[in-house]
Amino acid sequence: MIEKINNLKKEILDKLSEIKDSKALADLEVFYLGRKGEFTKILRDISNVVPEKRAAMGKAANQIKKEIQEKVNEFKMQFESKETQEGEEDITLPGVKFETGHLHPITQLQYEMEDLFTSMGFMTLSGPELESDYYNFEAINIPPYHPARDTQDTFYIDSKNKEGENDLVMRTHTSSVQVRAMQKHGAPLKAIVPGRVFRSEATDVRHEHTFYQVEGFVIDRDITFSHMKGILELVGKKLFGPETKIRMRPKYYPFVEPGSNGEYTCFLCHGKGCNLCKKTGWLEILGSGMIHPNVLRAGGIDPDEYQGYAFGFGLNRLAQLRYKTDDVRLFNSGDLKFIKQF
Amino acid sequence: MNLSLNWLREYVDIPKKIKAEELGQSLTMHTVEVEEIRSEAEKFKDIVVGKIIEVKKHPNADRLQIALVDIGEEKLSIVCGAPNIAPGQKIPVALVGAVLPNGLEIKKAEVRGEVSKGMLCAPDEIGLGDDHSGILILDKNAKVAKPLAEHFKMEDTIIEVDNKSLSNRPDLWGHIGMAREISAIHGLKFKDYSYDLEKDSCKSDCEKLNIKVEDHKDCPRYMAVSMKGIKIADSPKWIQERLLAVGMRPINNIVDITNYVMLETGQPMHAFDKNLVDKIIVRKAKKGEEMKTLDGENRKLEENTIVIADSAKPLAIAGVMGGEDSEISSETKEIIFESANFDFVSVRKTSNKLSLRTESSARFEKGLDPNLCEKGLARAIDLVKQIIPEAEVSSDLVDHKKFELNLGPIEIELDWFEQILGIAIPTKKIINTLNNLGFSTEEKEDKIKVAIPTWRATKDVSIKEDIAEEIARIYGYDNIPGSMPKLEMSAPIQNTELKLLRKIREALKGLAFAEVYNYSFVNEEQLKKMGIDSSDYIPLANPLSANQTLLRQKISTNLISNVVTNQARFDKFSIFEIGTVFLNHAGEINKDNRSEEKLPYQESRLGMLIAANKDKGIFREAKGAAEAMFRELNIDIAFCESSAQSNWSDKQAMADIYLSDGRGSSAGVLLGTISKLDPKIAKSMGIKKSVTVMEFFVNEILTTSNKQQDKLYKPAAKYPALLRDLAFVVNKKIAFSDILKMIYDHNDYIEEVELFDVYEGESIGADNKNLAFRVRYQADRTLTADEVDNIQKELLKKLSEQFEAQIRDY
Repeated sequence: MIEKINNLKKEILDKLSEIKDSKALADLEVFYLGRKGEFTKILRDISNVVPEKRAAMGKAANQIKKEIQEKVNEFKMQFESKETQEGEEDITLPGVKFETGHLHPITQLQYEMEDLFTSMGFMTLSGPELESDYYNFEAINIPPYHPARDTQDTFYIDSKNKEGENDLVMRTHTSSVQVRAMQKHGAPLKAIVPGRVFRSEATDVRHEHTFYQVEGFVIDRDITFSHMKGILELVGKKLFGPETKIRMRPKYYPFVEPGSNGEYTCFLCHGKGCNLCKKTGWLEILGSGMIHPNVLRAGGIDPDEYQGYAFGFGLNRLAQLRYKTDDVRLFNSGDLKFIKQF
Repeated sequence: MNLSLNWLREYVDIPKKIKAEELGQSLTMHTVEVEEIRSEAEKFKDIVVGKIIEVKKHPNADRLQIALVDIGEEKLSIVCGAPNIAPGQKIPVALVGAVLPNGLEIKKAEVRGEVSKGMLCAPDEIGLGDDHSGILILDKNAKVAKPLAEHFKMEDTIIEVDNKSLSNRPDLWGHIGMAREISAIHGLKFKDYSYDLEKDSCKSDCEKLNIKVEDHKDCPRYMAVSMKGIKIADSPKWIQERLLAVGMRPINNIVDITNYVMLETGQPMHAFDKNLVDKIIVRKAKKGEEMKTLDGENRKLEENTIVIADSAKPLAIAGVMGGEDSEISSETKEIIFESANFDFVSVRKTSNKLSLRTESSARFEKGLDPNLCEKGLARAIDLVKQIIPEAEVSSDLVDHKKFELNLGPIEIELDWFEQILGIAIPTKKIINTLNNLGFSTEEKEDKIKVAIPTWRATKDVSIKEDIAEEIARIYGYDNIPGSMPKLEMSAPIQNTELKLLRKIREALKGLAFAEVYNYSFVNEEQLKKMGIDSSDYIPLANPLSANQTLLRQKISTNLISNVVTNQARFDKFSIFEIGTVFLNHAGEINKDNRSEEKLPYQESRLGMLIAANKDKGIFREAKGAAEAMFRELNIDIAFCESSAQSNWSDKQAMADIYLSDGRGSSAGVLLGTISKLDPKIAKSMGIKKSVTVMEFFVNEILTTSNKQQDKLYKPAAKYPALLRDLAFVVNKKIAFSDILKMIYDHNDYIEEVELFDVYEGESIGADNKNLAFRVRYQADRTLTADEVDNIQKELLKKLSEQFEAQIRDY
């Protein structure tokens, strides 16, 4: 019996040495070592051996099987490593193309701003784009025929109220949400309002009638001008880097008093003066101020008890600065040559 | 607005060491935005004094002459068309390279074969009035080669201020107001113009002017006086220079004086020829009235326009522009000076209506101080007397007025300034600042009483916050340090809609969609092409262009237009947009808090679009994208027969998208729609691709998503599941969802049914489709193969009975 096994072992080892590829090796393995293989058959026959010899024989047979199996595995490894080397890769080829999507650059900036402010505990609010004259103008201290309406060419809706006036507008700023927010949430209040706004202005490379803003306001008992400056400094550093400084100077907006604009150190020349900042070293980015008591009152908040600040950023302006786009109309163009760059 | 530094110096002592640039910078940081600072001499750059040596005729042109001109270093030959030149004259020569005030650049040229190196200038060509009759002949003593600016002693500096930044400061529309501001910023001495109208008044034979103001609401103040002994002539040089320096054209002495007074005090003035006016009435225009304004235009007046009229006709549009009929002319001997104040709202309306913006209307509409009328009138009389010594006041002073100003005082607790500004400014500094700006103050214990000066009282300053701004801006916003408030911590209320939208955007980005933004506007033509009735679309009252007249009611419309933009460049693309649509019925948002009126209904929509060169499969691909996106939101959707009419959709490929009941049928919540763009409509729109569009209701997704439970872990089944494949051919018209429902309903052990193949082709008949499913059987015990095979056999039988399904065996 053992002899038979040893003969078979020899036969297998001889055949192994002649085998050229893994396919033949696999066939051989099945032929001898498989469930119905020759070697397996012999092992099965051991059960017919007399019990006294069976244990020793079984041990020996298994030992031989193990040896054969190890030899087979050795060959297997050789073939595998050889075969995978065949058909060598050009490792410099690019990968198979996976199509990826794109978020609009203004969406990306808006999210950046939202994340910054929500991390500081601000709510993010929305408001209607088609707005009443009341919330867009009157409630925020811009009565009819206020000269400030000069600078805001407004799209009016072709519908008239009982007095025969066009009293619906496409909102000219996100400030229209201020009084709505105060009426809904009361004070204290910390909120930002990102959104689309409209001005009736002929479009060209530098002008758009549809653009995007982020408005923000904080109302509480002891909110000061200095606090406003503090947060705007922080936004500047976040947007343009830790070295960024803010410069504020008086600017008139009817809904704030005192009113201010805000300029950040030009990120391109770091304040030295270049073409981007028109040699001033500063980029005008925002408008801000302490919320006018009339606006607080319109929102049902007592200005003797509470005070607050408000600010507004133009997202198109930020996007143009950051991405150095040369035509503001690209943002609303639906042109994938543009969008797919972001 | 242009400010002359020399002019400012008359009213504030500016030391030489404060340079114009510094002044501009400080005005910008404390008051108004300075746009540019330029030396007045700049406009005469490369223009020098020359002397004509000889003049000869141009050989090839009868009307031209050639002048040989000495400019010191060399002698230039210059071709000239003016007849008034002669040897010996001193004239302005614009050298090659000079750019004239009118923009003309001087180049070396050949004029009819003769080289010309420069140009001899007429007065109008270098911005010195209108005269174009001949070359400007300079004084005999003019020094050859001297720059013209030096010859004219132009040493002024012009500070140009952004008018927009002045819209809240009626008091800054003249040099005196600016001088006061500069004095406050730099702590310099301000020298206001002082006057005494009494002293200037008529002493004998005084006429009583017949002047009436119908309604003081239109005209809070009307001051007037007549002056006789007027001789119309050019203004003296110093007045002309001032006017030219700030960019205003000199006309004649009286008109120049009215302009001078306006530029200096901020008070617009008007002068009538007294002999052409029998009386003056300030009234509203009558229906159908017209008049010819000074710019030569014939203007139809609206009934609410305020006019200055005599007994017969309107003479001037109040606060905007005078009329030709009573214009000052060379014949004028006696004038009436008007120094008035008009209702700013009315002036603004009129100026807007007529599209006529003038220096005067720009000032009135800001809400000028009615008390400024006095200063203006006094200064005008003063100037006339200086320039025309024979002139004298010939009438009683008319002063019709009715107005009220809130001059305060405002009482403020001194520590409130720190509460609002966040920085402690010494009381002394506060008081100084206010006093320098013309506010009078009275300190009383820990309070301060601030009286508002009349020139700040119309609309500008009325509350303590206004006073805080005065203090803060003069102190310098830059000197207030930033700080962070100490606030109670609280988690902000989440905006679930924005959160959802962000999730949707991220999901779509992952599915290779690109986000676009489109305008909120559409136009009738575009809608018509798509077979959409635009009659119910909300129109803009003042659209900018014919392309953008209506508010969009679908995201899809503009999204489809994007295909035209991109089809040439991209074979296939997927885009989406999230935006607002506007429907023509009342929504839920209040118009204001005084009535129950609502804004038109507005809601957010999500549009998704796939465009490809070949139709093949993009409809199902779009569905797959929607399913994948909704999977991110843990929402299962089902496609059901379309209930809506859509003319632009391919009738064979349109469906409603519902929340699924989990077994491929609707659970009753409509989330959106999907349709293929009708090929004919696509063609009419210039679209060359096959297009599938989906539009979803964000509110519905939000409500659904809010109701959706969190994903829960399902433990692996204890007992093995059995899988059986199922394939059969049915007529194309039989809906997948009906078949799916039948399979699910067939037996409770059927836990999951997955469609893994759809085949259409000639071999199975053109009207047919082959569907292949994998059915998963699962129970709370071990199912036997026989058991499941029997269930499946029953199912096949039912399918062939109900749907005439022909079973295909694998």
